[in-house]
Parts: sequence; C-alpha cells; structure tokens
Amino acid sequence: MKKLLILSITVALFATSCSDFLVKEPKLTQSTEITLSTFDGLNSSIAGAYSPLVSSTWYGPGFVFEAEMRSGNGKKPTEGDFDSGRYSGSYNISYNPSATSGLWGYGYFVISAANNVLANLEGKEGGEVSAQDINNLKAEALFLRALSHFDMVRLYAQPYGYQPNGNGVPVVLSTDPAGKPARNTVAEVYDQIVTDLTEAESIMSDDYKRDGISDYKAAVTKPAVQALLSRVYLYMENWNKAAEYATKVINNPAFELWTAAEYASAWKANVGTSEVIFEVFGAQTNAYDAYWESPMWMSSPEGYADCAVSTDLVNLYEDDDVRNQWQKADGYDHLYWTIKYAGKGVGTPDANNTVVLRLSEMYLNRAEAIVNGASGDAVADLNKIAEARNATLYTSAGKEDVYNERRKELAWEGHLWFDLSRWGKGITRVDYVGDPTNQNVAAHSYMFALPIPKREMDVNENLVQNEGYN
Amino acid sequence: MRKVKFFLTVLSLLAVSFAWAQNITVKGTVTDQNGDPIIGVYVLLQGSTSGTSTDADGKYEISAPANGTLVYSLVGMQDVVMPINNKSVINIVMQEESVVLDDVMVVAYGVVKREAKTGSVTTVSGNAISEAPVSSVDKMLAGKMAGVQITAATGQPGASSQIRVRGTSSINAGNEPLWVVDGIPVMNGDQTYFTNTGNAIATINPNDIESITVLKDAAAASVYGSRAANGVVLVTTKSGKEGKAKFSARAKMGISNLANDNDFGLMTGEELLAYQRDAIVNAGGNPDDPNGRFYRPMSLLDGGTTDWIDHFSRAGKLNEYEINASAGTARSKFYSSLTYHKNEGVFYGVDYEKITFRVNADHKLGNKLEMGVRFNGARTVANDVPMQSLYYSNPMWAGSIILPWSKPYNEDCDHNVNISENSNTNPRATAKYDEQWEKQFRINGNFYLEWKPVKNVTVKTTNAIETTFGEGRRYWHPYTSEGEATLQTSRLQYVQMTTSNTITYSNVFNDKHNVRVLAGQEAMQRDYSSFYAYSPQVDPNIPYPSTAPSDKDYASYSTNERTLLSFFGIADYSFDSKYFLQASVRYDGSSLFGKNKQWGVFYSVGASWNLHSENWLKDVEWLDLLKVRASYGVNGNDNISAYQAYGVYASSQYNGSVGMLPSSPSNDDLSWELNATVNAGVDFGFFGKLNGSIDWYNRTTTDMLLSKSVPQTTGFSSNFMNIGEMVNRGVEIQLNYDIINNKDWKWDAGLNLSFNQTEIKNLGDVTEMTYSGDSRLKHVVGEGMYTFYLKEYYGVNPVNGEALWVAEDGSLTNNYNKARYIYAGSPEPKYTGGFNTSVSWKGLSLSAFLEFKGGNKVMIIESRYCNSDGNQMSMNQYKIAGNYWKKPGDTGVNPKPVAGTASNSYAFASTRWLQDGDYVRIKDITLSYTLPSKLTKKVGVSNVKIYASALNLFTFHDVDFWDPERGVTGIGAGIYPMTKSFIGGIELSF
Repeated sequence: MKKLLILSITVALFATSCSDFLVKEPKLTQSTEITLSTFDGLNSSIAGAYSPLVSSTWYGPGFVFEAEMRSGNGKKPTEGDFDSGRYSGSYNISYNPSATSGLWGYGYFVISAANNVLANLEGKEGGEVSAQDINNLKAEALFLRALSHFDMVRLYAQPYGYQPNGNGVPVVLSTDPAGKPARNTVAEVYDQIVTDLTEAESIMSDDYKRDGISDYKAAVTKPAVQALLSRVYLYMENWNKAAEYATKVINNPAFELWTAAEYASAWKANVGTSEVIFEVFGAQTNAYDAYWESPMWMSSPEGYADCAVSTDLVNLYEDDDVRNQWQKADGYDHLYWTIKYAGKGVGTPDANNTVVLRLSEMYLNRAEAIVNGASGDAVADLNKIAEARNATLYTSAGKEDVYNERRKELAWEGHLWFDLSRWGKGITRVDYVGDPTNQNVAAHSYMFALPIPKREMDVNENLVQNEGYN
Repeated sequence: MRKVKFFLTVLSLLAVSFAWAQNITVKGTVTDQNGDPIIGVYVLLQGSTSGTSTDADGKYEISAPANGTLVYSLVGMQDVVMPINNKSVINIVMQEESVVLDDVMVVAYGVVKREAKTGSVTTVSGNAISEAPVSSVDKMLAGKMAGVQITAATGQPGASSQIRVRGTSSINAGNEPLWVVDGIPVMNGDQTYFTNTGNAIATINPNDIESITVLKDAAAASVYGSRAANGVVLVTTKSGKEGKAKFSARAKMGISNLANDNDFGLMTGEELLAYQRDAIVNAGGNPDDPNGRFYRPMSLLDGGTTDWIDHFSRAGKLNEYEINASAGTARSKFYSSLTYHKNEGVFYGVDYEKITFRVNADHKLGNKLEMGVRFNGARTVANDVPMQSLYYSNPMWAGSIILPWSKPYNEDCDHNVNISENSNTNPRATAKYDEQWEKQFRINGNFYLEWKPVKNVTVKTTNAIETTFGEGRRYWHPYTSEGEATLQTSRLQYVQMTTSNTITYSNVFNDKHNVRVLAGQEAMQRDYSSFYAYSPQVDPNIPYPSTAPSDKDYASYSTNERTLLSFFGIADYSFDSKYFLQASVRYDGSSLFGKNKQWGVFYSVGASWNLHSENWLKDVEWLDLLKVRASYGVNGNDNISAYQAYGVYASSQYNGSVGMLPSSPSNDDLSWELNATVNAGVDFGFFGKLNGSIDWYNRTTTDMLLSKSVPQTTGFSSNFMNIGEMVNRGVEIQLNYDIINNKDWKWDAGLNLSFNQTEIKNLGDVTEMTYSGDSRLKHVVGEGMYTFYLKEYYGVNPVNGEALWVAEDGSLTNNYNKARYIYAGSPEPKYTGGFNTSVSWKGLSLSAFLEFKGGNKVMIIESRYCNSDGNQMSMNQYKIAGNYWKKPGDTGVNPKPVAGTASNSYAFASTRWLQDGDYVRIKDITLSYTLPSKLTKKVGVSNVKIYASALNLFTFHDVDFWDPERGVTGIGAGIYPMTKSFIGGIELSF
C-alpha cells in the first residue's frame, strides 16, 4: 500500500506542477514584447534590421545584378561551365508574377523591423540613454524604412518623372498583422521617403557612427542620409535639391575619390574606404549571407559566373581607363567579368561589400542636375571623375555625356536600368545571346516596372497588378 | 445469523486443513517432444496457490491431494492439465505452443487475445523480418502489411524510410507513425548532421524483435492521443523463456550492386560523340572546326573512354554476425544479444557500421511484484559522400554527367580532379580524400515494476531514458578543393525521458463477462541540442578546428525542448467471446502549442462481433472465423517543431555584430491537427485454409496546420494556423491461404493489397498552395496530397524535330514560354501491396516475396541535363537521348538535338520528364535448409539452418532510370538508387 501511496503522490506532483512542466519557452530567441521593451533591445533590433540587406535577393546581389543583366551591362555566357542557370530570367527579361523579384518580402520585412522600433522608442531615454541616442536610433530606422520603400518603388513602379500618379508600392508606417494595404501613388511613396530622410537628417548627430560593428559605413551616418536624399531628389527630378544634397556630401572632407592607383584594390577592401558613403557588408558570418549565390560567386569566372559583362559596356572605355579592368578565364578571351565583386579573400565562396552610395555618384548626381537646370559646373564635376579614372577629360557636358559617364562609372552597381527608365530611354542590346523576344526594350515599356509577386496578389485583394502582367 | 456464517467459515477452513492431511507425494519428470527435460515448468495444484517448479533435470515433487488435479505451465508451451488419480509418479510431455503469436497480440498498453480486437491492426512476427539483408527494420516491412506503405527515398544503407500508414494526413506536421518499443514511445527518423544515415530505428536489431504491430485506425491507436494520427508501430522485443539456456549464433554475408533491370545508362564515348557531332551539325556548325563554338573531333576517343558510373561504383559488401543467449527459471528470465553489422555501399566512400547489444531481463520479486529491464545500446559509424542532390561530388550525378573521354586518373596515377565539366570534382577523389561521417551512440533503456496488490489489479510503472549522442565531421581535403582544407564538425544530442504509469483491473464475471479497465498517466520530455563549427583554411596536416584562422572560423548552436503530459483510460468489455466493446480516452497537454490550446481530449470507441461463435453458425463446419468490426475515434498530430506558438525575435548576425530580427508572429491558438477515423472491417477464415481480413476506412484530418500566407507588408510571409482539411479513404485486403499442409510438405501464399485515396478538402483562403519542398508540386483542393504542376509537353514535331508544347488555348506551339501549365498527376500510388509464398519440404524451404505499387507518377528531373537535346554539351547523356528525331515523320522520339540550344525543350518544369512509377519488385527470394536435428545433435548443436537469399532480384518497371522509387514526392534528385543484394547465412542454436 505504501508503494501505491508513493505512486499517487508522484502522479499528484506531476498534476500540480504540470502548468510549469508544459511551458517551454524558446531559448535562442526572445519574445517580441521583451525585445522591444528596452533601449538595448531596440538598439539590437536596428542592428538586426540591416541584416536582410545582404540577402541574395537584395544587395547580395539579386537586386543589383538583375538590374545589370536587364540593362545591357550584363551578359549570360553560354560557354564552358559558366551557365549554372541563374539570372536567365533577368537576362531574358521574362518576368511574370510567379517569377519576379522577391525584394517585396525583404523590403517590407526591414520596414516592419524599423516600424517596430519607431513605435516603441518613446519613453526609453533616461539613465545612460540620452535623447540624442534615441534620435540617432530613430534616424537609422527612418533611413532603413526610406531605403526599403525607395528600392521597391523604383523596382515595382514606373519612374516618378513618367507616371507620378501611377501605382507605387504601399507605404507602411506601422506593423499591422491584419493589414492589407493598397498601393500608394508613386508620388506619395516618394513624399514619404523624403519625409523620413529629411527627419533623419535633422535629428541625427553629425558624427554618429554605430558602435560595435566591423564596418561603420555599412550602417547609417548623416552623410549616408544626405547622399540617399540626393539620389531620391534626382529620381524625382527635383534638380536643385538633388544638387544641394550632393554638394553637402561632396563638401564633407571625410570623403575622397579613389585615385587611379587605388581603384582596383578599393573593391576588395574589407571595410569602406575613402569614397564609400554607405555599403552593405559582406561576410560568411552574416545571417543572410548569400554564400553560393553571393555577388562574388555570380560574377567571378572561378564561381558560377552567370553574370558576365557585355562588350556593349566594355567597348565604352578607353584603353587606359582604370575602369577597363576585368576578370578573365583561361581560354575565354572574349568573356569579361566585373572586378567590383572580386572578393576580400575571406573564404570560398569569397565575400565582398556591395557599395550602395559613393562619392562619385554625388558628382554625377550634381552634374545631371546641372545639365537639367540646376546651377553649377557640370564639366568640372565630370572631370573630377575622369581624372581619377585616367580617362580623357571633358571639354563640354551635355546630357548624353552625363548619361554616358554615369553608365561607365556606376556600371555593375545597379544603376543603369533605373537610370534608363527615368531618362525615358529604351534599351538596345547588341552583344546579346539570350532569348531574342525581349532583347531590346522600348522607352517607357511596361517592362520597366516589374510585376508584383503573385503570392502577394493572392493574399491581398487591395493590390493592383502592374500593366502588362495580367 | 452472523454467528452462523462465522461458524460455517471456520468449519470450511478446518475441512481444507483436513483435506491437506490426506495429501500424497507426486513425483515426475517433464520433457519436451524430443525427450529433453524442461527446467522451470510451474506445477500447480488446481484451485490452490501451492505449487513448485521443475529442476534442471525436469524433475519435480509436490504434495497434493490424491484426487486433485495438477496444472503444468510454462511460457511458450501448451498447458497440461493432469488429474492425479492417486498416482505417485506422473511424467509429462509438453508441446510447444506454436500458435502463441496468433492467439494474442500486442496492443496499446497491453496484450489482448486476437479474437478481441475491435480496431484495425496488422502484425508481423519477428521471424518474417529477421532474414532480410538490410540494415534496419523499417526497410524490412515494405510490402508486408496492408495499409502500411514504406517508401525508400534512397537505397543507401542506414537511411530511414518514409512510412505512411493509410496515406498522408498532413502538409506541415509530420506524417510518420509513432514508434513504441516495449511500451515506450521512442524517437524515429534521421538524427544526423552531415550524413543521410542517422535512422534512429536502425539501431534496433531486427533479430531481437518478437513482433511488430501496426495500429492503423483510431480505435487501436487513439489511446496515444496527440501523437496517434499517423498510426502507431508497436515493437516488442524478445524475452527469455523458462527452460535451459539457449545460445544461438548467426552469420550473414552478402554482396550488392546497383539495380538496373531496364539496361538503363549513359552513352558510351562513341555514342555521345556521334550524338554531339549530329547536334553540332544541326546547329549549323562543324564539329571538326577547332575554332567553332563546339569542337568535337573524332580524335577525342583516341585516349580511351571511361564508363563513369562503373568507375564510381563497386560491389557492396554486407557482413553481419550475431550471438544471443536466453534462459529463464520460474522467477528470472533474460534475453541478450550482440550484433555486428557492416554494410559497404555500392559507391566508394559509403558505408554503414553498427554494433548493437541488448539485455532484456525480467525477475519476479515475489508473488506480487515483478520487475524488468529492456536495454539496447548501439554504436553506429556512417561514412557518406554527398548524395540526394545534384552535387558534383555525388557519384550518381557525377557519373551521369562526366564526359566519357575525360580521364579518371592523372599522370601520378591518382584520381584526376581536373574535370572541368564537373567543376573539377572527382567523387573517387572525394571518397579517398574528403571525409563525411557521423558516429553515434544510442542508448535506449527502460525499467518497469509491476505490482499485483490484490487479485485482478495490476499496477505498473515503466520509466525510460533514450539518448542519441552524435559526432559529425565533414572535411574537404586540399586535393579535392583547390589546395584549401575546410573542416566542419558537429555534435548533437537528443535525450528523451518518459514515465508511464498504469493501473489495470481485469476480471471475468460468471465466466462470460470479461472486463478490463485501465487508467494511466504519462509524462515525456525531449531535449535536443547541437553544436556546429565551421573551420576554413585548417592545416591539412592537423585538420582540426584548432588550426583554423581565428578570425575566419565560427560556430553555431541550436537547442530545443518539448514536453507532453497525459492522462488516459481504456475500458474493454466482452461477452461470451461473442461481443466486444472497447473505449479509450486520453487527455494530452503539450508544450508545443499556444497557451489557449494546450490541452486536448482524444477518444475512440469500437465494437466487434464474432458471428462464428453464435449458435446458429456453430454448425457450419467450413467456417472457422467470421467477425465484423466497427470503430470510430479522434486523435491528434503534434508532429511540429518546437516554439511555433511564440512571437519572437531571433538573433541575426551582420557586420560583425549580433542583432535581433522578428522571427515569427505569435499564435496563442496554435493546436494539434485532429484526425477522425471511421473503420469497418471483417475478419474471416474458411475450411481451415483460407483466412484474411478486409477493412474500409475514412480518415478526416481537420484543423490541419497550414502555413497561411499573409501579406508580406505585415513583415511576415506566413503564419501557422489550424485551418486545413484533408480526407484519406481506402480499402485494405489481407489474404492467407494454406495450400498444402501435411507432414512433409507445406505451401502457403499471402496477399495484401491496399487502395488509398487522399483528397485535400480545404486550404483556408486558397485553393492551391505550392509544396514547400519543390515548386513543381502543389497541394490542390479536390486533388491528392501532391499534384504535379507542369508545363504540358506535347512531343516532337514530326515535320522538323522541334519540341512542341500545348498552349493555353489547346493549340500547339514551339515556344515553351507559351506552354500551359497543367495538373499532371500525383506521385501518390493508387494501390500498394505485397505477395508472398513459401514452400517447404522437410527441412528445405523456399520463400518469395513480391512488392508492388502503382498509379503514381515519378519525375526524372536529371533528364533535363542528361537528355538535353544538345543544350548540355559538356555533360554526358543518357542512352535514351540517342533516340531522337532524324527524319520527317519520326514521332514519339526526343527532339532533334541542336548544340547549345536554348529552345527550352529540356525545361525544368515539364511533363516531358513525368512517367508512370508502377512497379513490381521481386523483393526477396530465400532458400533455406534446416539440417535434421538427429545429425546436428551428435555434435551438440540443436539446430542448424543455412540460407541464401536475393534482395531486389528483379524489378519490372517502365521508368527511365536505374530504379523506379523516388520517395513520397516522386521527385528525388541524384538519388542513391536501390541495390540488388545476394546473401548467404548460417544460424546455429545450442
């Protein structure tokens, strides 16, 4: 009987402690409420919010490389084992709602991470945390929200200058688990981007650098906010503001153009060098590291090498131009690969940084603003670059000169496609070996706005698909 | 009145004492049929508790009334009831109870008479599974039981199978049954970091298994509550038997090779060159022009060619040795075994080695208390190369694509790693220099204590610990990796603890009313942790993590735990062996689910009726058995990963710091999936020869866990919710026929056949969703679990040899981009089954076993590369690619190959690669011979059996691949196909 008693007691003990026994909270994650309840939690939430930028869909490098493959700077080699099958959709411009860029998911993921922080900053100052600390964190969140909205609106919508009242992307300013937002107009999206960036600029300290990271240029600084504003205004064809913000960065003594001697090695640096304003940091330790899909592995003949360079681009450079340096493969003299992602030498596949904003773009933004009516000396701005790159100097500067220099300087950094789109130019590809259907793209073609992913259309009836994909 | 009663009682007690005084002494010897004495036979005076046991010589002596009756009993022998009739010497010959397994069967929390079953259960005895030359018990069950479908995703030794009991019930939760070994639920599936071969079930030695019971319907399984939805596999291991010690030794040896019954394979050098030269000409080029885009001169063949599949494969070897011992007395019994098993795969670098040992001991501590231990330990060492995907280092894949004229060896006579078409990877070099292994210890032990405090009541507590400790290593040697050495190491640990406590009351009233009531409680906790280190650029002379540059190596850690607390009850009632009723209920609480839905109730009811026991059928002589059964029950599926109910931030490393990112939205209502099963069945036996059963079932899954897509503008892509619904319905038939059964000749045959149809009823907001594992499969409402969603390929254009597709409007087009998508069938078989027969004549026996499956589609995605119509000029092609369009009018052939074509005729998601997966496999043929015991006795061996068997001897199929099996999704890629084995073995018993 004693044993039965012991057994009953054991059972009773289990029964009474069962509520604790059945509560097993995750150990390697932290509840949302706790994370967002302290300044430290919010601060690490912003540190984390950067991490999707390096995913293979965004800057690591799908968003950038797909744009290059579409625009005519890229070429998909068919020789050797350089064709792993990747990047053929972008090269052939054969997008459809089931096969389109996944940036939508990553963009709104970062926006939601930023919004969670913005919604919980109030009342977190005190103790070691100053009002300025709060503002700096807020500015980072605003920048990340603006950059995400900006990259999405230029990818999924027609340019501001062409259809300002056309469908942009939904502006999302707070996290709503049941939300099914409709698309805002392109102009509304841009207005919100400007609002966020302007506020960020006004509240951030001039010398703010995020603590405890390897590459402070891979986090938001005040010049990064200004440089992005310059580009956003350029896209909005607000030429004076574009020039004004470019000038703010150009006049900042912290930045200098790479010299011709520095040029090639600058692309292999582990952390941002003199010309870099904002970049995405590459490392295999990154949670979102693209690994075999990384920029280096896609653009090096040592890797998958699906993204080669068209001779349309190669032929634009003079022989001595330092930008006329390429990666080559033995026995394939007619194929070229960019050196902008040649790797830092940290493993196989190697990692590299993806430059998002750099000083030469500021000169080019200002030059473009000037040839469109802003005041200033466009020839001097172009020559600043030509000189640093060992190229022939300009004596005059028309729109075509600016366009041409912009393509040459910023090739393989994801600009040309969006530039052609807002310039109202079509695409003509000569050195082309893909499906001939969309070899050339007419000016203002529907193809300049990629389709909204089908999975999103399926679950949000308030969305309207872009023209040409129904 | 009370006083009178008391008086009578005293009187009767006196009478009993008086009767004792009339005792005589009875002596005797108990022997078996062979005349050997039996130790430990329990000799009991009927109607009393007094008794004795036989000694080592089979002798006994008991004092008993001269007019009493003695009962002789021993587990495994038929009871003998013998009236004393004043005799003082009674010698007994006991018969082996050969039908013991047929009469009782192991069910949830107990053993019942087979005639009492109300639900649908299938059993297979240990003998039927122990001879097969495979590494684990799950593989041996294939085709043996109706309604239990075993699919091999790989032929690799030590890998786990996919087991589906009555179809697939879930999209996002698991579909594997619960495994219960000796009363305790155990872990199953792959527990490994780098290899494919961490099958937890493989560490049970098949020879240790007494019986396997599969509980298929809700009535049988529901008492396992939230884990029972996919059926329950009950494994019972052997116990010792009373009697003298028995030893046996077994040895088994065999060889295996790649099964290839359709003469499938790659082109030879000559064939490929001819094909490529044709393709170049078709592309308007000249194969002999050194400056052309493709240069393929005839001289490519001058250096000789290599059959790469042949070069990468070898004859696999199987070796298995076992000794076991068992013995028992009336009080103590034990069974123990030790096994060594090694299976070298048919590809270099693949092998699987295990040592297992088991001790099962039972001891009676008195009349009321019994205790016992079930302990199994195993050490496994699995070596592996990257398989199961189209890796360059996968020998199956590399063997398919490397060009025949590439060189296998370099000038140093080492493996050539300069093979550009295979990314400079040579699987032979990988096998020789690289390492990929997992070494594990697995221990599974349980201890029970059974107490019978009063008559009819049994209290039992069983407490178990199961643990897996694994160490893994993946090393890329500089020789194979362009001069750099890279190391990955892992440690993993699973610990599962279970306590199971039951109290049972059983009694028989008036000889006719049988009652059993069981109440129980269980608690389970499972902890998992793993540690992984990535160490690039290690010193090849000291290839361990310590030599990696400290700024480049990194480590990761993972852990989770889950708990389950349960209370349950079972009630059985039967009347006169005619009517049977059973009900069960279980109340389960789980840590896996949301705080609003942590507890759930599961239940079942079942009834059966033995018509043959009714008076009005008793006289029908040819009718041995006729029983109808019906049951209904509801159980659950909790097979999801931990913590899905929590809204959490998870760490996310970037830019040298660790930040936090939203990881999942919270879900307080997350709960188990519910399965409600209706089952109706009939069991029958006629003429003492034919018996079988037929079952019909309808199994409805509701509250199916679906990852519901939500707008990504919320910051998440999906949320896990209980919204879906699915139905499985089917019929199962099992038949056995004793064709001949006389003194020398025995011939029997058995057939099992099952038809299952899965239908998705509801997917929440959507009518179809893409299968998470492969975009070519969808889950579609109104269709089966998986539906191929592919562009419709029409065939070759007989006019010009181009590939034709069917466009949206039904017209034909040569533009792949205009081809329409269609639902192109399902990888789920419509029927599965097995056929077995065995003939024996005296000691010689021949048995054969066939397994078949049909109505399913498989997709040969490798063909996209190896039957590429000229697109893949740097890969070898399948022989079948040579059957292509050559002249106008050719139809039913491959399109005309054009070198470097971008026509998409070889596209990824095309019905062109879809084929009927039907097959009939001669799974096993075994010839065995048991030597006459007269002969063997002379050398002190009681039993000698030698046997030879062939596994997967031949497979009839029409699939363009080595073997038709491609896992439950029918896709598979770079799979290690089934192998064919021939083995011989010997068993000795002492």
